Amino acid sequence: MLISALTSTSDLFLHLWQSVLPHYLLNTVLLAVYVVSLTLVFGVISAGLIVHTNIMGKKILRWLLILPLAMPAYIVAYLYTDLFDYAGPVQRALRSMFNWQSPQDYWFFDIRSLFGAACVISLVLFPYVYLLTRTAFEQQNQNLLRAGRLLGLSPKQNFIKLILPLARPALGISASLVLMETLADFATVQYFAVNTLTTAIYDTWLGYGDLPSANALASVLMLFIFAVVFVEQKARAAQSQQKSMINNQQQVIILSAGQQFSASCCCWFLAIAGFLLPFSLLLVMVFEYSTSAQFFSLLDSALNSLELALYVATIAVLIALVLVLFQRLSRDISKNLPIQISSFGYAIPGTVLAMAMLATFGPVDHSINDIAIYLQLPEPGLILSGTIFALAIALVTRFAAIANGAVSSGMKQIPANLDLAPASLGVNLKTSLAKVHLPLLKSSILGAWLLVFVETMKELPAVLLLRPFNFETLSTQVYQLISDEMLEQGALGAILIVLFGLFPIIWLNSSNAKTDKTTHTSSIANAFSSKKRPQRN
Amino acid sequence: MPLISLNNLSVTLQKNTILSAINLTLAAGDILGLVGPSGCGKTTLLNTIAGFIAQNQGSIQLNHFGEKRTINAEHGIPPEQRNIGMIFQDYALFPHLTVAKNICFGIAKQTNSAQKAQLNTLLKLLKLDDLADRYPHQLSGGQQQRVAIARALAPKPALLLLDEPFSNIDARLRNDLMIELRSLLKTLKITAIFVTHNKNEVFSFGDKIAVMAEGKILQTGVPAEVCQQPNCWQVADFLQLGAWLPITALSEEALSEEGLVISDFSEHRQTTVSSYHSALGPIKNTLTSPKVLSGNKLVLLVKPQHISLRSQGEKNARVEHVAITEQGYHYQLSSLETKNELAFSTLSFYSDELLSLGENISITVEPTPLLIFNQE
Repeated sequence: MLISALTSTSDLFLHLWQSVLPHYLLNTVLLAVYVVSLTLVFGVISAGLIVHTNIMGKKILRWLLILPLAMPAYIVAYLYTDLFDYAGPVQRALRSMFNWQSPQDYWFFDIRSLFGAACVISLVLFPYVYLLTRTAFEQQNQNLLRAGRLLGLSPKQNFIKLILPLARPALGISASLVLMETLADFATVQYFAVNTLTTAIYDTWLGYGDLPSANALASVLMLFIFAVVFVEQKARAAQSQQKSMINNQQQVIILSAGQQFSASCCCWFLAIAGFLLPFSLLLVMVFEYSTSAQFFSLLDSALNSLELALYVATIAVLIALVLVLFQRLSRDISKNLPIQISSFGYAIPGTVLAMAMLATFGPVDHSINDIAIYLQLPEPGLILSGTIFALAIALVTRFAAIANGAVSSGMKQIPANLDLAPASLGVNLKTSLAKVHLPLLKSSILGAWLLVFVETMKELPAVLLLRPFNFETLSTQVYQLISDEMLEQGALGAILIVLFGLFPIIWLNSSNAKTDKTTHTSSIANAFSSKKRPQRN
Repeated sequence: MPLISLNNLSVTLQKNTILSAINLTLAAGDILGLVGPSGCGKTTLLNTIAGFIAQNQGSIQLNHFGEKRTINAEHGIPPEQRNIGMIFQDYALFPHLTVAKNICFGIAKQTNSAQKAQLNTLLKLLKLDDLADRYPHQLSGGQQQRVAIARALAPKPALLLLDEPFSNIDARLRNDLMIELRSLLKTLKITAIFVTHNKNEVFSFGDKIAVMAEGKILQTGVPAEVCQQPNCWQVADFLQLGAWLPITALSEEALSEEGLVISDFSEHRQTTVSSYHSALGPIKNTLTSPKVLSGNKLVLLVKPQHISLRSQGEKNARVEHVAITEQGYHYQLSSLETKNELAFSTLSFYSDELLSLGENISITVEPTPLLIFNQE
């Protein structure tokens, strides 16, 4: 992709650079800044309230706050535009209530703006911050907080002076995850007509048909991502975290009844705005507009989604297994390298990845066809880039980090001596892998498979760019309907996507009790953090 | 007036009684060692005194600078207002702060110059001068401990609590550190309570000892006294004062029938048992005021130095284990009769004579003083 970008002869890129590109860049940066700040505020406040106070309804809020992760931002964007637009029920009600006649009579938050997009994206991404910060808070060494108390801090001062600074690594990782997700977002900004680098790539390729320029744009976005990853790694290397044990005797900040109420409202607002409200709006749509014809048209794309997800999950897990076993058993100095490289794919936005696949497999396809012509065989067509093949490879690359993270955290729970014990009993490596490691890894493998499966079901940008002609998945179909302002027709599909997204959340929440197999997000985070960190003692 | 006194202190967590009716007083400047098997409630007691766990019953009285404060179930004082310092087992140093900032953490409200003066004093006192700008993970275990001590001392606490302070220290350095820390606390006249499961630490570090088991304090006192006069078998057992020889009291009739020498406390004859039977023969009571003991499971505390080898006489013990030590050969013995209720299995003694494993030997036992307990 980079080569194609550098050797590009198209003057469209030059034109872009002179006209709209600076604006797109500014939009991208602003969007990233807004989303990261908002998610940090939402996530840290909710995590702090849940872990460190006696907030009302703690048990239910604890997991309700994770659910927005299952909501694709573009669906929320569509639903909220419907709700809060000039013609939407909220503004209509306000107008009739106060007797306003035109938009000049009052001010109302314009959701179809950069900031509106940032709000919508933040509402579904803040659970990353919430989850990682909550885990960090819960695993903080209680003795540190006790020491703070004995040295004269009140519980609230403790939170500001100790708890937050100690959670810095978690904040950093979650912020960078949010940043990557934001840079990768395509559908929300597209829907709100906010032009960013991702939409520019998409338009350049599908609108103008200029592959080299699209590649150039993708390279610019990639540079962004590299910068984020680099800064994140730097920041992390400068810190070292104490390994700590979980202590159930958490001391909480006791809130007064009024404080409890407003704290509770805060968390409920996030849960409602991020999940409950959009989900109920979707349900209403399903009941009002569903027909059996829609159902059958969705069935086709659902089957396509399933087929694709099946391939991708299986391939990703197999690769993860090989990489993790290599990392575990190899005595090579660079044994961590393959898994690190393969985990980097998650940072690459789907759009960029798609461009890379086209840049790689396009020429290969052409040569294959040339050879076929030379051998006087029938032309096979675009057998790599024009089929589900390129799409599957792109998604495997993108989600390898998730599979690697889940499988390798499972592997870490297997004591190192179990590698040696079979040999001491006269059993060879192959048998010991089959009889010891694989059975012990079973639940991690299943978890990894499930996570990749669901992520594939949800993935949109890469699929949009790479899908073969007439190949619709659930997400592309729902997106198409959203673009045409007809989500009502696809509400059922949207519900399906959300329900699929809920699967891993429920699974992770139930396995959360096992401390080390933390979360989806931290397994991704693990993948990024596999670089060496200074260890205490 | 004691600096701290605990009156009838009880703690129940999730329906489990962790501490029951703890009574303890500690004078200003004293160092108390709290020992007991793991899970006996030592750390809970420290956390209750510090204010991290609320008591269900009883009170804690703190007398500092003539100010008398009482903490009970109705009237608590938050930890930050108790003026109590603590050194945690894992030191709990703030990983994101330098040594200097860690030490000044508790005195942030003082003026900058006062903080600096206090910091310099402590850095010098604890030999941390060169390490002020380091982070905790850049320090060795011993250095980390010294930082933890400096940090706890900076706000000048009335009472210092130490939770297994030496457990993470290399065995070779441990003794030096204990002596160093003890003299530091004595110089600064600091009252301290420390928890350990190692009785040797109490002997080198503490002024007083309190032995705990199952949420109760069994005995408190000067370490030497507690060792000489343990008040129950659990105390003696935990402090590993010796091995147990099961015995039974002989009735007056039995005594005369068997023609044993009856002890010479004629005035106590009616009320006390003066002689016992054991697998090693009769044991004579030499106490000037024997305790009245009843029960079916009486045991006698026997230290290695109470046992001696007889060249003649009936064989009464078998060598079960031989170890070579600096004090000579160490033998572990069992009785020849193993099914008997008087059978013993853990007596041990040192000798320069080489005996072989499984050999039947003849020994005598002369316990002084006679410490008899009921193990029921």
